[in-house]
Amino acid sequence: MKGYHAFVKKEWMESLRTYRALLLPAVFFLFGMMSPLAAKLMPDIFSGMNMEGVTITVPTPTAIDAYAQLFKNLTQMGIVVLLLVFSGMLSGEIAKGTLIPILTKGLSRNTVILAKYTVSLALWTVSLAVSCASAYGYTSYLFRNAQVEHLLFSVFCLWLFGALLLAFILLAGALVRGGFGGLILTAAFIGILLLANLFPAAEKWNPVSLAAKNMQIIAGTVAVGAMMPAVCLTLAAAVLCLVLSMAVFRKTIL
Amino acid sequence: MEQIMEYLPFLIPLLAVEMILAAAALVHVLKHKNYRFGNRAMWVAIVLLVEIIGPILYFTMGRSDD
Amino acid sequence: MNILTLEHVKKQFGGLKVLNDLTFSVPEHSVFGFIGKNGAGKTTAMKLILGLLNASGGTITVCGEEVCFGDTKTNRYVGYLPDVPEFYGYMTPREYLRLCGEVTGMSAGRIRERSAELLELVGLEDANRRIHGFSRGMRQRLGIAQALLNEPRLLICDEPTSALDPVGRREVLGILSAVRERTTVVFSTHILADVERVCDRIGVLDGGKLTLCGELAELKNSYRRDAVRMEFDMTEAQTAALCEKLRRLPFIHRSECDGRTVTAHLSSYREDGRELLAFLADQQAAVLKYEVMEPALENLFLEAVK
Repeated sequence: MKGYHAFVKKEWMESLRTYRALLLPAVFFLFGMMSPLAAKLMPDIFSGMNMEGVTITVPTPTAIDAYAQLFKNLTQMGIVVLLLVFSGMLSGEIAKGTLIPILTKGLSRNTVILAKYTVSLALWTVSLAVSCASAYGYTSYLFRNAQVEHLLFSVFCLWLFGALLLAFILLAGALVRGGFGGLILTAAFIGILLLANLFPAAEKWNPVSLAAKNMQIIAGTVAVGAMMPAVCLTLAAAVLCLVLSMAVFRKTIL
Repeated sequence: MEQIMEYLPFLIPLLAVEMILAAAALVHVLKHKNYRFGNRAMWVAIVLLVEIIGPILYFTMGRSDD
Repeated sequence: MNILTLEHVKKQFGGLKVLNDLTFSVPEHSVFGFIGKNGAGKTTAMKLILGLLNASGGTITVCGEEVCFGDTKTNRYVGYLPDVPEFYGYMTPREYLRLCGEVTGMSAGRIRERSAELLELVGLEDANRRIHGFSRGMRQRLGIAQALLNEPRLLICDEPTSALDPVGRREVLGILSAVRERTTVVFSTHILADVERVCDRIGVLDGGKLTLCGELAELKNSYRRDAVRMEFDMTEAQTAALCEKLRRLPFIHRSECDGRTVTAHLSSYREDGRELLAFLADQQAAVLKYEVMEPALENLFLEAVK
């Protein structure tokens, strides 16, 4: 327990001093702020384009459009940033050998995995919260009727998907040698999930729908209950990845 | 003018975040000699000229581990 | 009491056998020099002791507890200095030592005390900047400090001196022999001068086995090739003639002449030394220098890895 506390402190210091803890919330804050603005300015942008008599009529944007922009940014750029920032958290340390002095002091390998997961998940949670809070604030400022249904649930789905990715990054880091191995394997993992969506039967259970159906949840075209299979499976998969990464890491040669 | 006033709540935080990121990245670039790739002049230019994305690129890809 | 015991330890990587039936033990409060050519398997053996690698066979015990791969329980008795220690570059030495101390469950006060003590011992007390700017030698020193932090009963150092300048090497060797009061030291090296300076026991690793192991003084004694080197105040021709006569003596099985120096190999100096002296007196040889030769560690080593 003492070791866990000490290693969490180390991970947090690392996040601060490598600017992870600054970068991630800052970028996510910008996503949250720019999305409603982009939605609001959309008609102006189109009307500014003078296209030889062709007039494009854009319907007056609403709060729904603002959140559409937000989830588009978060599920694409946001996930990419999350991967870039955290992909090396275990594989980098294994490649460099910085864990050897610490592990030969008697810290258990499980503790390393758990502490890394704790801090990365906390940072992801804070960043996502900052993003959604700023999106909510600016949407309320720009649009009347800013209230949308199931916003929190939709964000929770995305959060859970991120939590799965973080657990998978740890598993990938324990499995593959080399600094970028974890990143490539995690990208492949997302690719496989996306491919699985080609089979309609899989879609209901596919974790990737947690980062794909966010708009439908808000718009009310997908019921909260319909997401439950994917939520449960993702939760189970995240726990499984974490347990597996501990089992694999115990036998990883450093 | 009126339009600028309307978007002031966006411009101020946007500029603030941009400046914080650029400043943090610039300090880091100047304080370190080694990068995963590229040289100092390149990273100074990227950090200062490519808004927001520049510092992100630097911290995620360019910063050396030490 | 033996603090470290290896019994029939084997390790192979794929088809490559690195360690092949390695057996030895290290008693408490000794400085054990682990000698071998580059690539002999010294680092592999150390990583096995630390549970960082999985042995293909055999057992290793540290302080009476068996070492298991991936399970770092026995490491609470051990301090380890890797051959190229890697630290978190964004920390200062004090912060790093605090992390190490907290990981082993030391109290905050004790950590502060030990850190100050050790940083002074290794000469880093004024280095309050982050580790990423440290030179190789400074990292090595910090490595020693972190290895000694929790007062380990067994200190394992992988080539602690190979990256250091002569001054740093002297200091590190000094530290290693200074801590022998409290801990047992095992260190690997291929620099024989270092071994002679601090070790009291050695093991020579060759072909995956210890080909020579024991107390340094004893080994030197048992490997004594009794030989006497004599220098004469005579012409070279006279010396050569004397050498010829020496060769004909029954207890001398070989003698070599080089200028005015003759080296004579005896079956046993203890038994025949007096006769040799009597013979020299009889011949009225003008002896300038008379020296019973010590076996050099280098010869011992070369013999062991033959």
